[in-house]
Amino acid sequence: MLHRCFSSRMARLVCALAVSAAVLIPPQASGAASMTSLTFWNGFTGPDAPTIQTLVSRYNTANHSSISVSQNVMPWADLMTKLLASYAVGQGPDVAAFHLQYLPQYVQAGLIAPIDDAYSHGLSAAAIPPDLLRSLKIGGHYYGAPANYATLMLYWNKDLFRKAGLSQAPTTLAQMQADAVKLSHQGANPQYGIALADHATIPMWPILMWQNGGDVVTADHSKSLLAAPKTIQAVTSWATLIAKDHVSPVGLAGAEADSYFQGQKAAMEINGPWATSGYTQAHINYDVAPVPVGPAGPVTLSDAVILVIDKHSPNLAAAESFVKWWNQKPQQAYISLRSGFPPARTDMTSDTSLQKNPFVIKFARQAPYARFYLAGLKNFDKIDTDVITPAIQSIEYNRASPAAALRKAATQMNALLP
Amino acid sequence: MAMPIAHASVSTAARRRGSLRPHGRARAILASYLFMLPSLLVIGVFMFWPILQIVWFSLHQWSFIATDHPYVGADNYRQLANDSRFWGDLHNTLLFTVGVVPASVLLPLPVAVALNRPLRGRAFFRAAYFLPAVSSYAVMAIVWSLLLQPDIGLLSRYLQLLHFPVADWLHDPSWALPAIMLVGIWKTIGFNMVILLTGIQGIPETYYEAAQVDGASTVARFFRITLPLLRPTLLFVTVTSMIASFQIFDPVFVMTGGGPLFSTETLVTYIYHEGFQLFDTGYASTIACILFLIMLVLTAVQLQVFRFQEED
Amino acid sequence: MAMAQPRTWARWRPFVPRVGTAILYLLLIGLAVVILFPFVWMVLTSLKVESDIAAAPPRLFPRQVSLLAYAQVWDRLPLLTFFRNTVVFAGGVTLASLVCDSLTAYALARLDFPGRTVIFVLILATLMIPVQVTIIPVFIMVYHLGWLNTYAGLIVPRATNAFGIFMLRQFFLTVPRELDQAARIDGCNMFGIYWRIILPLSTSALATLAVLHLMYNWNDLLWPLVMTTSTSMEPLTVGLATLTGQHEYEYAVLMAGATLAVAPLLLAFLSIQRYFIQGIAVTGLKE
Repeated sequence: MLHRCFSSRMARLVCALAVSAAVLIPPQASGAASMTSLTFWNGFTGPDAPTIQTLVSRYNTANHSSISVSQNVMPWADLMTKLLASYAVGQGPDVAAFHLQYLPQYVQAGLIAPIDDAYSHGLSAAAIPPDLLRSLKIGGHYYGAPANYATLMLYWNKDLFRKAGLSQAPTTLAQMQADAVKLSHQGANPQYGIALADHATIPMWPILMWQNGGDVVTADHSKSLLAAPKTIQAVTSWATLIAKDHVSPVGLAGAEADSYFQGQKAAMEINGPWATSGYTQAHINYDVAPVPVGPAGPVTLSDAVILVIDKHSPNLAAAESFVKWWNQKPQQAYISLRSGFPPARTDMTSDTSLQKNPFVIKFARQAPYARFYLAGLKNFDKIDTDVITPAIQSIEYNRASPAAALRKAATQMNALLP
Repeated sequence: MAMPIAHASVSTAARRRGSLRPHGRARAILASYLFMLPSLLVIGVFMFWPILQIVWFSLHQWSFIATDHPYVGADNYRQLANDSRFWGDLHNTLLFTVGVVPASVLLPLPVAVALNRPLRGRAFFRAAYFLPAVSSYAVMAIVWSLLLQPDIGLLSRYLQLLHFPVADWLHDPSWALPAIMLVGIWKTIGFNMVILLTGIQGIPETYYEAAQVDGASTVARFFRITLPLLRPTLLFVTVTSMIASFQIFDPVFVMTGGGPLFSTETLVTYIYHEGFQLFDTGYASTIACILFLIMLVLTAVQLQVFRFQEED
Repeated sequence: MAMAQPRTWARWRPFVPRVGTAILYLLLIGLAVVILFPFVWMVLTSLKVESDIAAAPPRLFPRQVSLLAYAQVWDRLPLLTFFRNTVVFAGGVTLASLVCDSLTAYALARLDFPGRTVIFVLILATLMIPVQVTIIPVFIMVYHLGWLNTYAGLIVPRATNAFGIFMLRQFFLTVPRELDQAARIDGCNMFGIYWRIILPLSTSALATLAVLHLMYNWNDLLWPLVMTTSTSMEPLTVGLATLTGQHEYEYAVLMAGATLAVAPLLLAFLSIQRYFIQGIAVTGLKE
């Protein structure tokens, strides 16, 4: 039965099928059979990206006949999402980079390959900052190697200091607090002595606790020290300054604190080496100084991204060679000079090539005093975002007294400790 | 139109009545399902099955990087019932929905009516209002948070010049959610306007002509013709806006991260936090199931209110 | 004939349309300014140098116009690859959705079969689960199908959409049933009515839906991020995400990338506009 309603139907259906078939054919994957292909996922986005890109190209060139590394770069938060999904089906990348604090849970899930092998053949354990090295060893085996290493220092705006009659950065805690007050004024054009971030940042508040001899947790991770007298004292003194003298805006994320310093609305900021290029480009007249010393002696915070290898990777040897190569002196020097980060090696402080970027040496010198925040704790993320940050914020917003908020946080934290 | 060639197996009379014999009815039902087959396949496999999996996860202690997943029954749900953070988030989500949906459905309506007239430059206006919908929520949220910063943001500066009181919107627990609501309205107005406009253009001119002959005023024409005939479109816009508001994530994640003091945290932000930052898929699934139930109820209510079964 | 207006009103009547229109224009322009302001800022910022952006007090216009940000985006990202992937992904989903959604919507709006309401409600229910919740189970499923990092894996799970089905169903409901009857009398079967009557009368709704699908998938980040594992398959949004960092926002570069991502969509919308203008030219009902 011929009917005009059916006339072009078959033709259109066939067309649609053809188009969909064409679209669904994936692009041809290239591959040389003799080459080992390594996948490397990391979160080195933004201005760091070109540096890491060049580094990976160098490795590929040096190993052009045997190993080829292909990178997948995305923001850290997204990287953790994707890693989770990929590990769930056993499709993790050969090499992944992520923040040190994530290591315990991935190791416990049996997803990371031990690399003691690499440490006996090329990776120099002695050259790795001690606190970092300690955190890389779990249950007697090494599970990661450094990708980068950073310490925090006190950035200070020389122009704003001079205007307030101060000629140099504070060296003691007392000076720091006094200067912060002098540098703060409200009114039509408010200015803050310091920009303290409390979330989405490399942490600053723990340093304020450590300065005074307080702490977040005991060394053996058995008990929270948030309610220890020295911790309460430290937090109270800063909370009072914020409430009475408005020395800092409240509720800032890391990037916002950076904006305050970069916009010259805050005279001080505790920050890492990554900020130097941005501030220099913005023509801020600044310098970095060691975090002022409190009763506990010199102390600051360190942060590290590490390299790990997938336990089920078919290319363990190649992956280890990449990881070892990354940690060699020339590569560490390159990363340092380009990014301003100190090298992840303690044996390079007198390296003349590093003198080219004065910041590198300055940050490197902080390594002996630098401590990690919540490293080695499986629940670190929950403790940080669900216990400590809300406590700090409730203090900043005057919803609770420092003592009450910290005691509550300590109870919550103790419930989360192993 | 030309008279058709009658098909031999079905009587002309039966076709004029619009009914088919039983054998034809079974075929009609089969044909109906065939129409829906591609969609039903995709939805069944990639949307429905995962939903069932989510329910399954919510009954276990489930993490994708854990090796075993013990069954815990209703424990997750019990924990949720006692979770003050969940109730707070539900409160925020409801506030956000109530603040955004009426505004983003009612405000575009007069604009759509206006742009249906032959105005000069209406193509420009349509494109201008639609632009927020076309852009990436995450990126525009970054732009808004920069504009809203008190001392550095441009908007704050302009407001100051106009002697408007300026607060640290995004860092003030009382103002952060309203600020995000404004961004939500900004993002959806143009989107809803375009859909309403499409609906208005679907109303045949003849109805308006007839009404004008009868002497109806513009206002009467709007309430007696436009509004009733727009009912299916209005239902659509309201339901989709409600569903989208209930699931709001991007601007919250980018602008405040749920803070300060959880004043802007919404249900999906909490789900993301539990599922992707704390790797607790079991608990995240529990929240998702409750969210799903709430939206199901709200949608059913709306469908009733709009009497969606009536197709006049 | 309508009653004449009261006389005092009649005297002012010739002026009212002009004043009314003027006010209308003012409101429309005001609204446009408010809505467009963030975009104006975005484009102008992409033309600034970094030091200009952080300067205080903040300024709208650049002190010096620079295309450096665009050059940096071009250098750092394989834009053409990303663009191609975005077009294939978003375009593929749009095409597939238009087909599947309209077929299903037609059945739900016009055909009578048992389970119609239940199916509609179930389809609608799928809208109520946020994508973040199901993404990992779907990822696992796509992996087992062998479609990870392929166009099939990106497009097929999205080939139909409750939003589109819902929208088209509501729209099809407004097409007068008399046209159906007339076509039936002419000998058209169900598919014929769909193809010859419903679809041609729905060009504005289909065009609208096409734009909505296109733009939703064009701007989507989480889905393609999780479903692709190599740079050669990533779309624009995933590529642009590499311009943001936790501590380093290069605003000019980010805004340049965002401008580049929004421009094609805007152009697509502008070119589809005439289908909206056309409206529905109902041929009238034969008596």
